[in-house]
Amino acid sequence: MTQPLSDGDLTRRSFLERVATTGAQTFIFGGLFVTTALMRLPQDATPGTTPAKRKKRAPEVIYGFVVDTTKCIGCGSCVRACKAENNVPDGFCRTWVEEYTFYPNGEVVVNSPKGGENGFPDDAPDRNQPAEIGQLPSRGFFVPKLCNHCIDTPCIQVCPVGASYKTPEGVVLVDPQRCVGCGYCVQACPFGSRFLNPETNTADKCTWCYHRITKGLKPACVECCPAEARIFGNVNDPNSEISRILATNRVQVLKSYLGTNPRTRYIGLDSDVI
Amino acid sequence: MGHARHFVRLFGLVAIVVIAFLGARAQVVPKDFGTQGPFRASAIPEAAKREPRHLGSEACSDCHAKINDAWAKGKHHTPQCENCHGPGLLHVKVMSEDSVDAYPDQIKKNPKALRVTSGIQECEWCHLKTFERPSTLKSIKNVERHIIETGGKYTAASKCTDCHNPHTTVVK
Repeated sequence: MTQPLSDGDLTRRSFLERVATTGAQTFIFGGLFVTTALMRLPQDATPGTTPAKRKKRAPEVIYGFVVDTTKCIGCGSCVRACKAENNVPDGFCRTWVEEYTFYPNGEVVVNSPKGGENGFPDDAPDRNQPAEIGQLPSRGFFVPKLCNHCIDTPCIQVCPVGASYKTPEGVVLVDPQRCVGCGYCVQACPFGSRFLNPETNTADKCTWCYHRITKGLKPACVECCPAEARIFGNVNDPNSEISRILATNRVQVLKSYLGTNPRTRYIGLDSDVI
Repeated sequence: MGHARHFVRLFGLVAIVVIAFLGARAQVVPKDFGTQGPFRASAIPEAAKREPRHLGSEACSDCHAKINDAWAKGKHHTPQCENCHGPGLLHVKVMSEDSVDAYPDQIKKNPKALRVTSGIQECEWCHLKTFERPSTLKSIKNVERHIIETGGKYTAASKCTDCHNPHTTVVK
């Protein structure tokens, strides 16, 4: 009865080795197969969902955000409004303003004290002092930054627990109940839009004020911008202000070479802005 | 058939491990996880639930109609009420009640529950002259020089609102 499996001698050792390999393979692949099959099962077996209902329809609302850097006066109203609206802890920002100053020798200085929360100081040298003339800045401007709500998000991809997600309207959010605070997404975001909230110990980011926009309001930063440098709306509605602005302006995105496809677009973005 | 027992044991063990894994997974993973994508579907309505804290300038006109009217007609109507005064939600809540006893100490010290304005810092956020600011914006570099040049008397306690009405920009 004890037929060897191959023409060699079937020792106790080789038998155990084979059993172990086959067992491990069966366990891994069988387990994978069963899990994937079962993971699909509840969706398909939900009563009342016909295949037609489950078909993906084009969403009615896709939100978009436009930042007009030519209008920004660097007052920091957006930063303060965001902090008050979203209870952002001190030292962190969901949106911030960067001050770019260029000097004739090619030096570029980017300044953002507390994200611009308390405005920007007058730090340029005195134009009336002859000794300072050579060090006078040649040009400068402000660039407001916030989460770009990318279409191809690096931050959602790296989340190991499924806490980062995208709503049907295209807003990238964090589920604070699922987030374990590992910080992978903070590192994955090439725009520095995420941070670990020290109060909740979860990842935190700009939500485009999801609790406001779903009630028909504008995000707090858009509401409070006195220069109308921030425009928010439904890009799927051809009559919305943002559609008109996107149709009549030349817009670009930050770090387009990364291919993240941001939904936040910029008017008048300088090539030196990083 | 002496070897058959080995296979029964092996597959029995594998089956127990798989069932234990699936059972544990069903306990740990939320019910609505994966119904709309690889995340908890009920997180979306939870994120939308929070109460907005900025109410907009129209909400202020319910009680402050006169000052709201002057602001809206004046040159200074681009910054909203809440830009300088802070978010209004708590203010409306506190003012519509008789006492502030139910609120934390922070509110008891500041019973109007609005940002305490200094009359100079709020102005400097926009009107302090910096190199990067657009030249079309009215801005001043030195408060002391500005006051002396316009014929005033500068003291350490001088504020912009001593001369300028912050709501209408009209000089008093």
